[in-house]
Amino acid sequence: MASDPIAGVPLPWPDQPGELPRHFRNRQALAQTLEQLFPEAAGSLSPVRGGRHQADTLLARLQPERYAKGRNFLDGPVTRLSPYIRHGVLTLAEVREAVFARTRSRQGSEKLINELGWRDYWQRLWQQLGDGLWRDQEELKTGHSAAAYARELPADILEARTGLACMDGFIEELHGTGWLHNHARMWLAAYLVHWRRIRWQTGAQWFLQHLLDGDPASNALSWQWVASSFSHKPYIFNRGNLERYSNGRACRHCPLATEGCPFEASYEQLEADLFAPMPTIRATDNRRGGRDASRSGNRGRSGTTQGSSTTALSRPTPRR
Amino acid sequence: MQRPILWIHGEALGPANPALVAHPGRPAVFVFDSALLLGRSASTGDPSSPAEPVSLKRIGFLYECLLELPVSLRRGDVAEEVLTFAAAHGADGIVTCASNDPRVARITETLLRQLPVQVLAVEPFVQLDGPVDLGRFSRYWRRAEPQVWAGWREPGP
Repeated sequence: MASDPIAGVPLPWPDQPGELPRHFRNRQALAQTLEQLFPEAAGSLSPVRGGRHQADTLLARLQPERYAKGRNFLDGPVTRLSPYIRHGVLTLAEVREAVFARTRSRQGSEKLINELGWRDYWQRLWQQLGDGLWRDQEELKTGHSAAAYARELPADILEARTGLACMDGFIEELHGTGWLHNHARMWLAAYLVHWRRIRWQTGAQWFLQHLLDGDPASNALSWQWVASSFSHKPYIFNRGNLERYSNGRACRHCPLATEGCPFEASYEQLEADLFAPMPTIRATDNRRGGRDASRSGNRGRSGTTQGSSTTALSRPTPRR
Repeated sequence: MQRPILWIHGEALGPANPALVAHPGRPAVFVFDSALLLGRSASTGDPSSPAEPVSLKRIGFLYECLLELPVSLRRGDVAEEVLTFAAAHGADGIVTCASNDPRVARITETLLRQLPVQVLAVEPFVQLDGPVDLGRFSRYWRRAEPQVWAGWREPGP
């Protein structure tokens, strides 16, 4: 409970000068102390609690088969383990064993194990790329030059007043809780990069400020996937896709629901509106061997999207 | 190393941290990295953009994770604070756990100028020997998936 005292586990060695407190009257007192210790850090605590105790509670609720079926929906049975995995509160090996312990048939758990694989993949890439993951891995395939993208986040985005109920809701959730469903991350990232033409790095840094699971590798490389510097095609969505996987939650009270929704179009129309002609796309891809051809190959109109348990903005996915 | 201290970093805030497992009861320290929290690191921000501090939500989450571990908390320059802690405990070395973050590697190098540092590996998700093709996930997964599932035993009737 929020009013319960918070006590760090006892230390068998004496405190040294300059060490930070480990006992608090309650969670509010913790928040106040942290505000004093870290005055530059904006906001307050997330409703999501840190610690292995909470991670174990979530782990006990794992349902790999339900996850496989419903993970793309904003209200679907995603695990919410990502912050704990990102900071090693749980190791991937521990989560793998927890999934195995709940596995009756391999097929039912393959999706969740595959998601853990994505986390491992991004981490291996981080080892390989180092800080270079902030650089475009490939040319953009949008027909726009990198210089055409704004470096700063516009105020209406920072203040969650874009006028789009879906995006404003996602921004408020990001700022308030530090967690977003993977699908919401993808939509928000695509909106920023493609509809607002903001550099992916700017968006990625903004996510890292807020996401409890903010991992440089998963986050930056997934933004690159959306932007198309780490994929063979930019990721976009349309209203039909968003409405389906959000159960129309935001659209029901969006002032633009009946007229003016920028996502209300076919993919063909949106591509024509958002991107400049780029006749060399195919040649580029063939030459490079399509780093994530497996993902882009999956991105046909009939694919399904993936909500992630494990990563910041988890590996991007097919758009429908 | 007879009297090491343990340096816990933000990639391994759980009881499975191999330094905690290998040296139960030894003094352990976590340092809130001031520069990193101000966004002045590639771990929290784009190196080519102006720095933006991370929000209190993230710090609070780390803090709550850390309160469940036997670890002293400090803030400032990580290497300096770890070495101060090591000196206060008369340590002859530092034990920590592996990380993919280049920032952790750089801090480790700084520590090494003063004290021996032992870096312990975390249990891997999947052990893949030799070079791994990361060109695309599918290539990695083609190799990794059978290895991962080799550890699963179908439940009996």
